Amino acid sequence: MDWTFGLTMTIAGMGITFITLYLLTLLIRLLNKLFPYKDEEKKDNK
Amino acid sequence: MDAFLDALNSLGQGFLNLTWESAVMILIGCLLLYLGIGRKIEPLLLVPIGFGVVLGNLPLAGLSAQDEGGVINLLYISGVLTQIFPVLLFLGLGAMIDFGPMLANPVVLIFGAAGQFGIFITLLLALGIGFQQQEAVSIAIIGACDGPTAIYVTSKFARELLPAVSIAAYSYMALVPIIQPPIMRFMTTKKERATLMATGEKQVSRRVKILFPIVAGIATILIAPMGAPLMGMLMLGNLLKESGVVGRLVDVSSNAIANIVTLLLGLTIGASMLGGNFLTWDTILVFLLGFLAISLDTVAGVALGKLMRVLSKGKINPLLGAAGTSAFPMSARVVQKEGQKANPRNFLLWHAVGANTGGQIGSVMAAAVMLAIMSGLGIGPLG
Repeated sequence: MDWTFGLTMTIAGMGITFITLYLLTLLIRLLNKLFPYKDEEKKDNK
Repeated sequence: MDAFLDALNSLGQGFLNLTWESAVMILIGCLLLYLGIGRKIEPLLLVPIGFGVVLGNLPLAGLSAQDEGGVINLLYISGVLTQIFPVLLFLGLGAMIDFGPMLANPVVLIFGAAGQFGIFITLLLALGIGFQQQEAVSIAIIGACDGPTAIYVTSKFARELLPAVSIAAYSYMALVPIIQPPIMRFMTTKKERATLMATGEKQVSRRVKILFPIVAGIATILIAPMGAPLMGMLMLGNLLKESGVVGRLVDVSSNAIANIVTLLLGLTIGASMLGGNFLTWDTILVFLLGFLAISLDTVAGVALGKLMRVLSKGKINPLLGAAGTSAFPMSARVVQKEGQKANPRNFLLWHAVGANTGGQIGSVMAAAVMLAIMSGLGIGPLG
């Protein structure tokens, strides 16, 4: 079995996927802070 | 009289050339048709796939994906092997998906990462069994629980496994309501499953909904450019939807394009399932490993859910972790159902949909990272 390939893929693959999605959560939080939901939109939605 | 016999002989060639493998595959095609039409299991996929299997295995018809110059061969080459079909499906998916619940509660996005765990463990197992690197990656991607992503990766690296991988990926997506609940119940106590979560949908501003596909698209493609066709199309489709100014494009992406591609993809994949390349020991292994991958996704998701429940002091229901797979919206529905079984006052669907859309992004990201690593290691397509 090619352990080098398998472990590289597993550790780097899982790690980068986790880190990227975590960064996306931070990005979403930032966007939500910069552009909070406003009352005007509530009225529009009604 | 001779001419008459010659004509009869010519007419009977189909029967004379029918092998036992072709006959078995035609029966499998009919079984898929029965499941799609009679049992209404994923009919949009199983009907074209089933008929594709039948057409592809009829001798001398020239309708298999391997019959050079045939109609289906041309569609297979131009749509599947070029990866155009899966990429276009992502455009339609993006135009249908609502990231709202995930944007309102971004912590659920992390479940989308845990939901890919099975991919990587299955990769190790496939390598251990003796599959080559490209084959192992293609089999493992079934754990993405995402048909188009599995087809995209497999068509790049291990085309001979494409029929088995795509059928396994789509079958297990449909079987999520059967595969996930026993694992969810085994891994959690009734008290954990009964955990109530805040109800009431949080609203997200329109600007955030418009900006997210742009910003997330740029960020993820910069991190793993190899996944750009999938992520780019997913985010483009979503931007079209959220922009609110291109209704016609949203309509054509989520209906006409998605439907045409689903039909042609199903037909060509079905017609690539030939007795010689499908009725093999490898196909059985692909199905077993694929099942394991999706089961491990659920295990990892629920395990992370249990951890998050502890960290949040009981504010997160661990079942949400099972929705971190990309099987949208099946996983979210399963979570809602299991949550309500444990506590009839539980309403997890909104949160689960958020985790499930996170799973969509997670699966594409996992595939993109794998493609990037393969490229970095200089590993190209098999053969």
